[in-house]
Amino acid sequence: MSEDAVNITVDGVPMKARKGEMIIRVTDANDVYVPRFCYHEKLPVAANCRMCLVEVEKAPKPLPACATPVMEGMVIRTKSAKAIAAQRSVMEFLLINHPLDCPICDQGGECELQDLAIGYGRDISRYHERKRVVKDKNLGPLVSSDMTRCIHCTRCVRFGQDVAGIPELGTTGRGEHNEIGTYIEASVNHELSGNIIDLCPVGALNSKPFRYRARSWEMTQQPLVSPHDGLGTNLYGHVRRGRLMRVVPRRNDAINETWISDRDRFSYEGVYSADRLQAPMLRDGDSWKSVDWQTALEAVAQGLQQAPKGGTGFLASASSTVEELTLLSRLARGIGSGNIDHRLRQTDFPAAVTPSLGMAVADVDALQALLVVGANLRHEIPLLASRVRKAAVSGAKVSFLNPERFEYLFPVAQYWVASPAQQLAALQVLVAAARGAAAGSEGVTAEHLQVVDSLKSKERKAIWLGALAQRHPAFGALRGLAAELAALTGATLGILAEGANAAGAHLAGAVPDAGALNAGQMLTSSLHSYVLLGVEPQADSLSASAAAAMAGARFVVALTPYASDELKAVATVMLPIGSFAETSGTYVSLEGRWQSFGGAAQPVGESRPAWKVLRVLGNLLGLQGFAQSTSEEVLAEARAAADGAVPQAVPQGGGVAAIAADAAVTDVPLYQIDALVRRAPALQATRDGMQASQGVQGAA
Amino acid sequence: MTGSTSKIGLLNEHTRHEIDSWVARFPEGRQRSAVLSALRFTQEQNQGFLTPDLMEAVAEYLKLPAIQVFEVASFYSMFETHPCGRHHVSVCTNISCMLNGSDEVVAYVEKKLGIKTGESTPDGRIFLKREEECLASCTGAPMMMVDHHFHEHLTPEKIDGVLDALK
Amino acid sequence: MSRASFFKTFLLTELLQGMALTFRTLFRPKVTLNYPEEKAPQSVRFRGLHALRRYPNGEERCIACKLCEATCPALAITIESDVADDGTRRTTRYDIDLFKCIYCGFCEEACPVDAIVETRIHEYHMEHRGENIMTKDKLLAVGDRYEAMINADKSADARYR
Repeated sequence: MSEDAVNITVDGVPMKARKGEMIIRVTDANDVYVPRFCYHEKLPVAANCRMCLVEVEKAPKPLPACATPVMEGMVIRTKSAKAIAAQRSVMEFLLINHPLDCPICDQGGECELQDLAIGYGRDISRYHERKRVVKDKNLGPLVSSDMTRCIHCTRCVRFGQDVAGIPELGTTGRGEHNEIGTYIEASVNHELSGNIIDLCPVGALNSKPFRYRARSWEMTQQPLVSPHDGLGTNLYGHVRRGRLMRVVPRRNDAINETWISDRDRFSYEGVYSADRLQAPMLRDGDSWKSVDWQTALEAVAQGLQQAPKGGTGFLASASSTVEELTLLSRLARGIGSGNIDHRLRQTDFPAAVTPSLGMAVADVDALQALLVVGANLRHEIPLLASRVRKAAVSGAKVSFLNPERFEYLFPVAQYWVASPAQQLAALQVLVAAARGAAAGSEGVTAEHLQVVDSLKSKERKAIWLGALAQRHPAFGALRGLAAELAALTGATLGILAEGANAAGAHLAGAVPDAGALNAGQMLTSSLHSYVLLGVEPQADSLSASAAAAMAGARFVVALTPYASDELKAVATVMLPIGSFAETSGTYVSLEGRWQSFGGAAQPVGESRPAWKVLRVLGNLLGLQGFAQSTSEEVLAEARAAADGAVPQAVPQGGGVAAIAADAAVTDVPLYQIDALVRRAPALQATRDGMQASQGVQGAA
Repeated sequence: MTGSTSKIGLLNEHTRHEIDSWVARFPEGRQRSAVLSALRFTQEQNQGFLTPDLMEAVAEYLKLPAIQVFEVASFYSMFETHPCGRHHVSVCTNISCMLNGSDEVVAYVEKKLGIKTGESTPDGRIFLKREEECLASCTGAPMMMVDHHFHEHLTPEKIDGVLDALK
Repeated sequence: MSRASFFKTFLLTELLQGMALTFRTLFRPKVTLNYPEEKAPQSVRFRGLHALRRYPNGEERCIACKLCEATCPALAITIESDVADDGTRRTTRYDIDLFKCIYCGFCEEACPVDAIVETRIHEYHMEHRGENIMTKDKLLAVGDRYEAMINADKSADARYR
């Protein structure tokens, strides 16, 4: 470090910097503000806006701070007359063609150009000629475009090229005719495309679902955590008068950096879906009647008391909070039922092990070898896929063993498409190769050896089991083989379970007791009664018999934000609970990070946070352990229990289970994974959303 | 990035050969550097202009995203992305030529061909591209460029000779 | 008590002085108005009841920029906006609570399109609870009815702005 360090002077203050670092990084680190538009910390440098011009001693002209590396003894002035004059001139150029439509622009109030124009702009424009007008581009249902406002910073272009891996946007034409656009009108289809909204420093790219709905200054910003995948993406909910208006990223370099997936960004629309359950409902023959909470909860307590011991099944969404799951599992065990589960799409249930990535999310960037078994990674955990892309682009050997060919926008070392039965066989071959079998023996080929070799020889390596692996008809055997391979190669085994809180669900006890029924059994055989927490059994499981199992039950309680047709058909009581952003709670991410958030928005109608509903239900049933008055108290109890638990290791080996050669694993489309995204109209209108709705009957 | 059907077939053998020779001049994996030359031969092959299909074919051939080819094609003035005449004619109107009467040259050419600057003759023979900026041939002013060849010291007779010779 | 004040009290001179003033004023021009038959003159800048204006072609001026809402010191304005059928930015709700409003005219100052204005109308009343809320429809109706007056006032004041 010492020989790398250089001494520079910025505005008269001596600073230390790393050799070769760009000036703007040093000034940012030392809280010296340099104005900028095109520079973004997470994107490659373009130096095309010229707003960050600073004066450097001995340089004949001002230099762009974002593209000038520091050198020993450099003297930089960011606020000298020369620097300010340069910055003001650049601002004048930028404003030549920028329309004066701030009052109708959604960026107004949070616009970098607007802010800097206050500091560097002239009061009166000297430009009296006609401003140019650029035709808007159709960028799909998520991003609205007003291209006349574009200042050609190319942040969106660089995001597509270097982060997402889809060079779909580009700059065409030159000079006055320079435009940002796609190649002959194509919409931007990528699971992270919404990030260009945040990147755009002006109002050229904005959120289409949010268009003209609210102003930035009217909303309060509430921290949230993504309810869609186990990464624990940090979000901000922007709330106006109790209503969630939009979701934006909350920067956390250890998890999501500055990005969020489109699913996280636009699923909030589902919170205000038309089929939100407004009040508790009781079945009255074939119709439904709204009742007050007291009546509804008493009916539930009565119904549950009538069920025989062990005759009640508890199914919870894997995106329920730790608090909800703790109380639900306490409730289940309190009435003598160990039938509780959250793994609705799983079919094989080996000994439950808390899913974990096994490493810090930030360390994924530095992986050198990775074998992914059964994962549509870009759909399951989009931001993790983007980190894997980062690793792969810098040379990591990433291999896949998947039931289908999924498109990855980075160099893939090896891609095997294998049916579930073949997957087991392939893993067995890899284990054999890791044990030292030569090519030709035991089915080992050069490709197998390559993958095993990369896993063995590299220093930072991992083997991941995705959601498709967990839906595998012999998940136990698959997991055992992967664990064995991991042990042989020294790789970290990661189990990437579905849902935002799969790890939390295991820790909170939302897995069946020994001998009790698991989700698969609960969904095939009809029990006396069911309690559903945020679950739509048919839509959330892949079980064909889910609806029949529910219909066969005598008493079904649904704690649900939505009065879906499916639940209306089978439920006896529906209790409205707060959805994502309407309840306080905690998620445990796949890296084992506990992240709590407060209720951001007002619950719709009569909805109540589910933990409160469960707590009152516990009281009505006269059970122990339901005396908490805040969700923090519930969390403290859950945390104490989780900290006391002994971490289980993934059992190795276990042999190959006999499964049918034609057994298949179904991939759940990107925007069908949970109740919230299924109800977000903008997401459903994307290419992925449309394909899913068309492809349901097509996917045999 | 990936088209449903391959468009490489739109490039004829000569073009592909030329592109290959240009790709070979750059280091491995830097085939993006060959876009400019690739587009030049492709435009030549198609009688002087590029179509979206041809640009996609180039992109596919060079294994690049289509937008990167389109960026180059739309940036450089020697590429036409809309149908136009076979022969590209542009008259210089920069200062030296202007002082030597390039305005009359433009007027004469426009009158002779019956089209305005930026248009093509109906028979698809001549495309009067634009009023060119200085082509560094001030000693021969007024001048015009026809298919990358310079014609200097223009007089109405000389213009007639050049333009009538175009097939 | 001095002698002078003793005589003053006795002779009622002050009363007579007062009566003299009253008598003199009797013949001077009157300054009181016989309201409501007579009204005092108003400035074109008078800030009374609010109105939302339209362009001559009938299009609403308001573009839902919400600057008036942001600047309102009494938080009397509530706006909700959405994309209109023709793709433009429009309000779906524009409420002014006349009980909260302090008639400062900031909304008018903030408006980039001269949509919200305060008219010279000051004689209005409410009979029922809730009538204090001027909705978008009511505001537009005021604007439509008094557009001639608003336009004249604004043009008279324009050169001082």
